[in-house]
Amino acid sequence: MQSVDFSRDVLPILSNKCFVCHGPSSEDPDQLRLDTEALATSDRGGYRAIDQAKPNKSAVLERLHSADEPMPPADAEKQLTDSERAILSAWVKQGGKYTKHWAFVAPVITPTKSAPDATGSAALDAYIKDALKAAKASLHKPADKTTIARRVSLVLTGLPPELDVLNAYLADDSDSAYETLVDTLLASPRYGEHQARFWLDAVRYGDTHGLHLDNRRGIYPYRDWVIGAMNDNLPLDTFIRWQLAGDLLPNPTLEQRVATGFVRMNPSTAEGGAIPAEFQAKNNFDRTETLGTVLLGMTLTCARCHTHKYDPITQTEYYQLFAFFNSTAENSMDGNSYTYAPILHAPKDQAGWIQWKQIERDRLALINASDKDVRKSLAENEGALTAWNNGGLDEKLALLADPHGGLKESTHHQKAVFIKAAIDTASKEFTTTLVTKDLDKPRETKILRRGEYNLPIGDALEPGVLSVMGTLPEDAPKNRLGLSDWLLSDEHPLVSRVLVNRIWQRVFGHAIVRTPEDFGLQGQHPTHPELLDWLAVELRQTDWNLKAMLKMMVMSDTFRQSSSRRRDLDDPENTLFGRGPSYRLDAEALRDIGLWSSGLMDPHMGGEGVKPYQPAGMWKALAHPGSNTKQYVQDKGALLYRRSIYIYWKRTSPHPMMTLFDAPDRESSCVRRARTNTALQSLGLLNEIQRIEMAHGVAERLLKQADSTEERLDLLFKLLTSRSPTKREAEACNTLLSIMLERFEAAPNDALELLAIGENTRDESLDAETLAAWTQIAVTVLASDPAILVY
Amino acid sequence: MNSVDPRREHELMLTRRQLFGRGALGLGTAAMAGLLGDDLLAENKGLPDLPHHTPKAKRVIYLFMSGGPSHLDLWDYKPGLVDKYGEQLPEHVRDGQRVTGMTANQKSGLPICPSKYKFTKQDNNADGVWVSELLPHTASVAKELCVVHSTFTEAINHDPAITYIQTGSQTPGRPSLGAWLSYGLGTDNENLPHYVVMHAHSNHAEQSLFNRLWGTGFMPADHQGMLLRSQGDPVLFLSNPKGVSRKDRRAQLDALAAINQGQADSFGDPEVLARIKQHEMAYRMQMSVPELMDMSTETEETFKLYGDAAKTPGSFAACCLTARRLAERGVRNIQIFHRGWDAHGNLVGEHGSQCKDVDQACAALIKDLKQRGMLDETLVIWGGEFGRTVYCQGGLGKENYGRDHHPRCFSTWMAGGGIKPGITYGKTDEYGYNIADEHGQPLEPQPTHESWTPGTMHIHDLNATILHQMGINHERLTYRYQGRDFRLTDVHGHVIHDIIS
Repeated sequence: MQSVDFSRDVLPILSNKCFVCHGPSSEDPDQLRLDTEALATSDRGGYRAIDQAKPNKSAVLERLHSADEPMPPADAEKQLTDSERAILSAWVKQGGKYTKHWAFVAPVITPTKSAPDATGSAALDAYIKDALKAAKASLHKPADKTTIARRVSLVLTGLPPELDVLNAYLADDSDSAYETLVDTLLASPRYGEHQARFWLDAVRYGDTHGLHLDNRRGIYPYRDWVIGAMNDNLPLDTFIRWQLAGDLLPNPTLEQRVATGFVRMNPSTAEGGAIPAEFQAKNNFDRTETLGTVLLGMTLTCARCHTHKYDPITQTEYYQLFAFFNSTAENSMDGNSYTYAPILHAPKDQAGWIQWKQIERDRLALINASDKDVRKSLAENEGALTAWNNGGLDEKLALLADPHGGLKESTHHQKAVFIKAAIDTASKEFTTTLVTKDLDKPRETKILRRGEYNLPIGDALEPGVLSVMGTLPEDAPKNRLGLSDWLLSDEHPLVSRVLVNRIWQRVFGHAIVRTPEDFGLQGQHPTHPELLDWLAVELRQTDWNLKAMLKMMVMSDTFRQSSSRRRDLDDPENTLFGRGPSYRLDAEALRDIGLWSSGLMDPHMGGEGVKPYQPAGMWKALAHPGSNTKQYVQDKGALLYRRSIYIYWKRTSPHPMMTLFDAPDRESSCVRRARTNTALQSLGLLNEIQRIEMAHGVAERLLKQADSTEERLDLLFKLLTSRSPTKREAEACNTLLSIMLERFEAAPNDALELLAIGENTRDESLDAETLAAWTQIAVTVLASDPAILVY
Repeated sequence: MNSVDPRREHELMLTRRQLFGRGALGLGTAAMAGLLGDDLLAENKGLPDLPHHTPKAKRVIYLFMSGGPSHLDLWDYKPGLVDKYGEQLPEHVRDGQRVTGMTANQKSGLPICPSKYKFTKQDNNADGVWVSELLPHTASVAKELCVVHSTFTEAINHDPAITYIQTGSQTPGRPSLGAWLSYGLGTDNENLPHYVVMHAHSNHAEQSLFNRLWGTGFMPADHQGMLLRSQGDPVLFLSNPKGVSRKDRRAQLDALAAINQGQADSFGDPEVLARIKQHEMAYRMQMSVPELMDMSTETEETFKLYGDAAKTPGSFAACCLTARRLAERGVRNIQIFHRGWDAHGNLVGEHGSQCKDVDQACAALIKDLKQRGMLDETLVIWGGEFGRTVYCQGGLGKENYGRDHHPRCFSTWMAGGGIKPGITYGKTDEYGYNIADEHGQPLEPQPTHESWTPGTMHIHDLNATILHQMGINHERLTYRYQGRDFRLTDVHGHVIHDIIS
């Protein structure tokens, strides 16, 4: 047997099959422990379970193969397979050395063999190519130009390329053509709307409280802030720090405080009879465990009740982590209130945010520019000078803008008046959003026995971190800010890996660690450990620049391969990444593509969640009569056509066209959506009102913008697939078209009925039967695999 | 979150391997499908190692009484309480149990409130069973019922309690009982989904329901319950749009198949074929669902059995009749939610109306299944998420009163599906407050992995027993998520063999 790797081969077996009894949660001091090297190799009275000096004497070896006293015992739930037994034996015989689980060791760069000096996309490709080479293969042929244009556009913006962008790219023969396309896509406002979606799944963003009445919750400025942060390319470390602890930063800005909506994202209740202390605990379990999934790629849930059975996380550490969140100031019950305090007033849509950020930049520039002058002119006025020196930006601006103050003659005064007026005007338009604030005096945290809120045990705990992932930096405060220092430090083994793994997942369809929610002992080993580590270090070293990371990934040859299956490589799960990504698009993209191609899409960004068509009675059938979300009141006009990220998210009953295509309910964190395939999806794609309305819109566009059937089909396929139809596709469409034309001509009323669906009225200058027939073509092609898959 | 179903992944991997193995790239759809056989492309076949043992029941019909029906006014006869009218509940009886925020501070304290309803003893196959006058029809099928008086839970409020009994966890995120059955057993029916949920009308629908109660938590969404609705399309988006005929749809699907096949030829992705199959199933459902919902084939005798309400779509009776029709069509898992049992104030008015909704239909369903020879293989379950308190909430009167939530004991019943007919199981103390042994002494069931208190049925035990009847060992039906092998019953649950025939 070849040499076994402890972390890759052995530890998963020990964890899955042995640790239940011989692991970290064992309470019997005499029980053999196999989770640490010292305990596993200790002298047990004349013998050792693992004898590193005399491996063949290891008791484990005998028990593994014993018929009388087998390990695991004959009645154990989980038995070893033969190959697992062989791996364990080989490892013991090789000396039984332990190494730390790979994910708990900070990532370091191991240069590739074939291109040790390569950087960027070339380095990425080298990691992939080296692994392929070991499997006696190389990268697949490149995808053709149209395919890659559509693919990269969908991956970066969630939409196919605009026709002018596509045509410019296809016409550009220069070496930089593709990079130009990528840069265009990264600069599109559609980029942020698409990228934000994955984060909103992870943090379980919803527009309702989630539990019991599931009433409205006002927190959409957070959603809009996330989208803006993506478009601004806010460095990911800053992005995370503000969300965890923006309120604790010195003189926090509005953005930094709105970002703390992250902490407030847990579902909440105000059910009559519920006990506040119980929900104080439950809310913080949820936050602690969500932090685990989103940033640590670990489940911490087990440690709520007992020391983790698999991963080295103690119950004490769980409650120390919990303690970071346990001192927030909101009531543990939400009062069924839209303004579940603490709240803040913030811009009500993206335009408001953009304007506000500009005002803030202007204000900062003004204060900085005027500082020297102000000090000089206030030199004689000690009181005013102190006020200036100690004041935050708001106070300084007020001093500068004061028409009766000592600075009214300053050259900066007029500008200050102007900015102050802009702030006042902008603030009038603000709406409310839930934010985080700490209590003046921290709440006491103790271990809760079995996770029961009313069974605290032991002494009060200080906030603290998981020791297996390092220590709280010395100078870090023991609050959420300190927590973020720990998470974002260079030594943290998980955060950068976990983030970059999910970025990879949304670019390549599958992650490098195929269990992005679990990097622990029970999770899957990375398909390319060295690549993952290189990416993690790269993310940090490029100042957590998401756009740069995405650009590097999509510029790689690996990304640009054809996604067709290969005869020369048997890799159904694409674990070698020896072909391009292929998968069904997410619910939001399916709808957005229809809105976009029909020209119906309303580009307005942000604002209260919108309510497109939804079958009547879906909310009422579930809702409490006292709930303020029991009636679904469908929106009118442009709001029907907003991008799907803006759809109102009622957590106990999200929009059916979203859940039908695997969108999560947002009651708990989701870092990987399933991609199911059901008959109900077929019904949705072909019958739902908005699908028909979108198809109608597409058909109108085809009839107006192209003259012949051939040209119309060409435009339809250009929009949805970025290429012309194949012969077979054209034939299928032509056949369907002639059947439809004939039948609508025979029954013109049917055509009118079909075209009356949805609020968008038909263009009466177009022949109704022809329009109806093309509507049927469009709804069919919109539902077809070339339109609903990435490939 | 939901993740990728490992079983489904495995199947697809097999499919793909088979394709590669035979060098079938580039074959047409039909040829590919023929090569693979229907099995590999079937939507959901369940796990290969199931059933774990010979199932007693082929299907479940779960009549869920949301809000917490009062065991004291329906099933758990406590004649001795009449003499204690208005007295305070003794402290030793309450024995530290939580009182919800709704009655914790009421001025009247916790005054004992006997039921105003007459109970009569019905013959069954054992010592008989007391049934309230609110349920005269259900009383008439007492010989078929196993009435459990000792169901209990830890949750004391609706949201956590109903989430707990349906998913095994008080907080959201886990798959529902129905999702587990779908994941484990798959589907028997090519024309209808395997798991169907109905919401019956109630005049007092005063609690919320949540998608999570029939949802899939971290499992893929194709295991979720399909809502069969009484408003609009019975199945979401079932009907063709106005102006589109069935013939049109056929033509569309043919075009779609041709386009998709082209895609499959270019890229060799076998999942394309599975999708073509789902489009065809949708097409069949457009026939099978209207046929299912078309009650005109039912006889007057049947309507007499279920009552006139069965002619009103969305009524509990209509849902029960539909449940029988689903059962006949091989749907494995059917659940009806009836809201309005949360009688904090006007119990007499509300429970009276609620019982009128369900009583005749429950009995009719049992009789109907029996006369068709289907009861033996159909497990029918009736119950809510908790019971109601013996003490009164709000104003205590002899003719009307209210009761708060009570998790420590409540009554459920089961019938058919290999459950012993005509028995009762478990007892409560003289107050109907604690589960008691046969001498009336309170028991304190604290079930652990190893131990279980005879005569009690925790909600995990109920779920373990339901799975058992369906041929599933609840400890072996697992789904790995975040490194842990999750179970419906978490690390708990004991099959109650005492009620299994």
